[in-house]
Amino acid sequence: MSHTAKRLRYVLKRLLQAIPIVFAIIVVNFFLLQLAEGDAVDVLAGEAGSATPEYMAELREKFGLDKPLPVQLAVYLKNVLAFDLGYSFRHEMPVLDLVLDRFFPTLLLMTSTIVLAVGVGIVLGLLAATGLNTWRDTLISVFALLTYATPLFWVGLMFIVVFALNLGWFPTSGMENIAAFHEGWDRVWDIAHHLVLPTITLSLFYLALYTRLMRASMLEQAGMDYVTTARAKGLTERRIMFVHVLRNALLPVVTMAGVQVGALIGGSVIVESVFAWPGLGMLAFEALFSRDLNLLLGIFLLSALLVVGVNLIVDIIYSWLDPRIEVD
Amino acid sequence: MKISIWLGGAITAASIALSGLAAHAQKAGGTLVMLVQPEPPSLASYISTSGPIGLVAPKIYDGLLDYDKDLKEIPSLAESWEVSEDGKTVTFNLRQGVKWHDGEPFTSADVQFTVMEVLRKVHPRGPNSFKEVTSIDTPDEHTAVFNLANPAPYMMRSLGAYESPMVPKHLLEGQDVKSASLANNPVGTGPFKFVEWKKGQFIRLDKNEEYWKEGLPYLDRIVGRFIPDASTRAAAMENGEVHYGAYGAIPNVDVVRLRELDSIGVTTDGYAMINPVSLIEFNTTEPPFDNPAIRQAISTAIDRQFLIDNIWFGYGNPATSALSSSYAATGLYAPGMPNYPANADVAAAVKILDDAGITPDANGVRAKAVLDLIPYGEDWRRAGEYMKQALGDIGIELELRYEDVPTWLKRVYADYDFRMNVNYFYQLPDPVLGVHRHYGTDQIRQGTHFVNSSRYSNPKLDQLLADGAREADADTRSAMYKEIQEILADDMPVVNLFEMKFLTVYNSKLKGHDLSGFGAYGSFDQVWFDD
Repeated sequence: MSHTAKRLRYVLKRLLQAIPIVFAIIVVNFFLLQLAEGDAVDVLAGEAGSATPEYMAELREKFGLDKPLPVQLAVYLKNVLAFDLGYSFRHEMPVLDLVLDRFFPTLLLMTSTIVLAVGVGIVLGLLAATGLNTWRDTLISVFALLTYATPLFWVGLMFIVVFALNLGWFPTSGMENIAAFHEGWDRVWDIAHHLVLPTITLSLFYLALYTRLMRASMLEQAGMDYVTTARAKGLTERRIMFVHVLRNALLPVVTMAGVQVGALIGGSVIVESVFAWPGLGMLAFEALFSRDLNLLLGIFLLSALLVVGVNLIVDIIYSWLDPRIEVD
Repeated sequence: MKISIWLGGAITAASIALSGLAAHAQKAGGTLVMLVQPEPPSLASYISTSGPIGLVAPKIYDGLLDYDKDLKEIPSLAESWEVSEDGKTVTFNLRQGVKWHDGEPFTSADVQFTVMEVLRKVHPRGPNSFKEVTSIDTPDEHTAVFNLANPAPYMMRSLGAYESPMVPKHLLEGQDVKSASLANNPVGTGPFKFVEWKKGQFIRLDKNEEYWKEGLPYLDRIVGRFIPDASTRAAAMENGEVHYGAYGAIPNVDVVRLRELDSIGVTTDGYAMINPVSLIEFNTTEPPFDNPAIRQAISTAIDRQFLIDNIWFGYGNPATSALSSSYAATGLYAPGMPNYPANADVAAAVKILDDAGITPDANGVRAKAVLDLIPYGEDWRRAGEYMKQALGDIGIELELRYEDVPTWLKRVYADYDFRMNVNYFYQLPDPVLGVHRHYGTDQIRQGTHFVNSSRYSNPKLDQLLADGAREADADTRSAMYKEIQEILADDMPVVNLFEMKFLTVYNSKLKGHDLSGFGAYGSFDQVWFDD
C-alpha cells in the first residue's frame, strides 16, 4: 500500500474513533449542565424584573424544559445527527448560526496565539539551550518564569493601561472600530490592529511553557548517541543542531501544543472578556450564566470537534517530523 | 368640574421654537458609542424590562407620552390627552403623519393593539399598569379612548417609551407575540432605526431621517457596545472609544478616578423614573425573623451612611421609610418614620432585642442566619461583610452566601429557601408600580421574581394598598400612604437600606443626554457632540 493511501486510511480510522468520543462528550456535558441550579427561564424572568408563573410555565414548555431529562437528551442527540444544534431561546437564534458567527474570532485569536507562542517559544528555547548557563539562558529563563507565573487578566489589564491608555498605540478592546464601520482592506488592517494585545496576552503564558519545554528537550537530545555519531561523521555543529537535534526536540513541543488547544479555549475566556473579543469563550461564559444549555452544548461540541481535529493534525505532523513514527 | 386638558400641541410648538432659538448651538452628525452591559437577550422592550434592553429600545420605539426631568408628562405620540371627571375615561389625540420605520402609518389601531394584546398580556409590569383598562375605543385613526374600570392615576406615569413602547400591529398581529421576529429586528417610530446586531460586539442604530420631530435626531448613529470586563470599560471610556456608560457600567471605584479628568463627566441625574432602593428582605414565616422586633433591631443597627460613604463612594442617601424620598414631589413620602436612623444606634438596637426577650446565649449570640447577597457585583459582597460585622455587634451571627444569578433567584423567589436577603428594587415613578409588589398579600406569588418574597401579609395594609391605587384625590392619597409607611416602619417585613444613586459617566463632548426624566433609558433624540 502506498504511503498516501495508508495515511488516508489512518485519518478515516481516527475519524471513526472520534464518533463515540464526541457522543460521550455530549452525554456527559448534558448531565453535568443539569446539575446547575435554576434554568434559562429563571434568568430571563429575573432580568425582566418580574413575570407571572403562567408566563414562566409557558416559556418552559416552549423551550422544552418541562419534559423529562432522558427525553430532552434523546431529542438533542437526534437533532445533532441532523447537524441541528438546536435553538438558543435567549438569543432567539439557531445555535449553529450563533456559534459559527463567533467561531471566526476565536479561530483567529487561537491561530495567532499558537503561531506566536510556539514560534517564539521554539526560538527562545533554542537560544537558551545553545547558550546554556550564559546570561542569555538566564534572561530567557527568568522571562519564562515571570510570564508563566503572572495571571492572564492582570497582564491584559496592564497592557491596556500601558499600550492603549498611556502610549495610545492600540485600541483598548473589541475586534474592530465599530464607530467607523471599515470595509475591505481597511477592515483587515483594523482587525489586525485590534488583535495585537489579546494575542500577546494569551501567548505569554504558553510561550513560557514552550520555551522551557524546548530548552529541556534540546538539552536532552544533545546528549543522545546519534549526536555523537553525527559529530564523528564530521558534520558541523550548526548542521547537527538545526537538522538533527532541532527536529527531534520539536516532537514534545508539538505534542504539548496539540494537547493545549483545548486549554487555550479555556484561557481565551479570560482574554476575550478583558479585551471584549467576540469569541466562543465569551459566548460560553455568558451562556453559562444565563443557563442557555443548548448554546453551551453547541459550544462544547464544537470545541470537542476542534480538539479531536487538532490532535489528528498533530499526529500527522509527527510522522512528518519523525518518519519512524508510522501512521497506522 | 375637574377636566384637565393638556395643551400638548402648544407645548410642542414652544419646545420647537426653543430648540429653534438654540439651533445655532447644537451640531448635527457624529456617532455615539455607548456601553450596553450586559449584552441584552433581545430588543423586545414590550416583553422584558431588562436593563440593557432599556438602554437600546427607547431609541427605536416611542411611547404615548414622554417625561421631563421633573417627571412631568410631555407629549410624544399623543399630542394631547384628556382625563374625564370621574377618572374612568382617558382620551389620547394621536400625532398625525407618524410612520413606522418600514413606512406604514402609525394609527390608533396600533395603540389599541399594543396595550390590549401586548402590554397587558406579555409585559412584566403591564398587567399592573393597565390593570383597570377594560377596553380601548378607536373612533378614528388618530384618537384612542381608554375605558377604565376604576381611576388609575399611576397609569399616566407608565406611558413612556421604556415602560410602554408602542409597537407595530401589522408586524405582530396573528403571531405569537413572545416569539415574533420583531424581538430581534425592532421596527418603531422613534428617532433611530435598528440596522444591525453583531452578537458579542455591538448593536447599530442609524438616524431615522423621517422622524416626526423636525430636525431631530442630531446624531447620525448610535452604537451600543458590549464589553464584559469592568476595568476595560473604564479604560475604553478614558480612551474616548466609548462616550457614554450608565447604570454602573463604570464601577464607582473607577468613577472616582475618571471624574478628575476634563474629558469625562459624571452625573447622578436620569434615574428618578426608576427610583432604585437597596434593601433587606426577610423570611417572615420562620424564626428568627418572624418577630418584627429583630427586624427593627437590624434596621437600627446598620449604619446606612457608612455603607454609602465607604462602599458606594458617597453616592446614595440613607433610606428613611418604605417609600423613597423622591416621592416627596408627589406628596406620597412621609418623613420621620421610626427605626430608620442614618447612623447606627447599637444601644437602641440592643434595647429592642432585650425588650422583645431575644436574649444572648453564653457566647453572646442571639440569632444565627445566612445572609444572601444579590449577585450583581463586588459592592454587594462588601456590604455583606459590613453587615456581618455590624449585626455581630448586636448578637446576630451571619454567614454570607453569594451565588450566581439563576441560583439566587430560584432560592429566594421560587424555593423561599432563605432567611435574609440583600437586594435592590426599582420603586418606579409610582408606588403602585414599584412598591406594592413588595408588601401585598396578592403579591405572594411563588416563582415570580421581585415580588413579596418575605410573605408578609396584613389585611389592613392590603386594604390601604388597594385604596391607594384607586384614589384620585392627592391629599387623601398621601394620607393613605402615610399610614402605609407607618405600618411598614413598625412591621418591617423589608428593611430599606439606602436610596441608590446610579452613575452615568459620559464624554464631556456629549451634550443633551440629560434632558429626559429617563436618563439613559431616554430616546437620545436631542443628544449631540460639541467639538
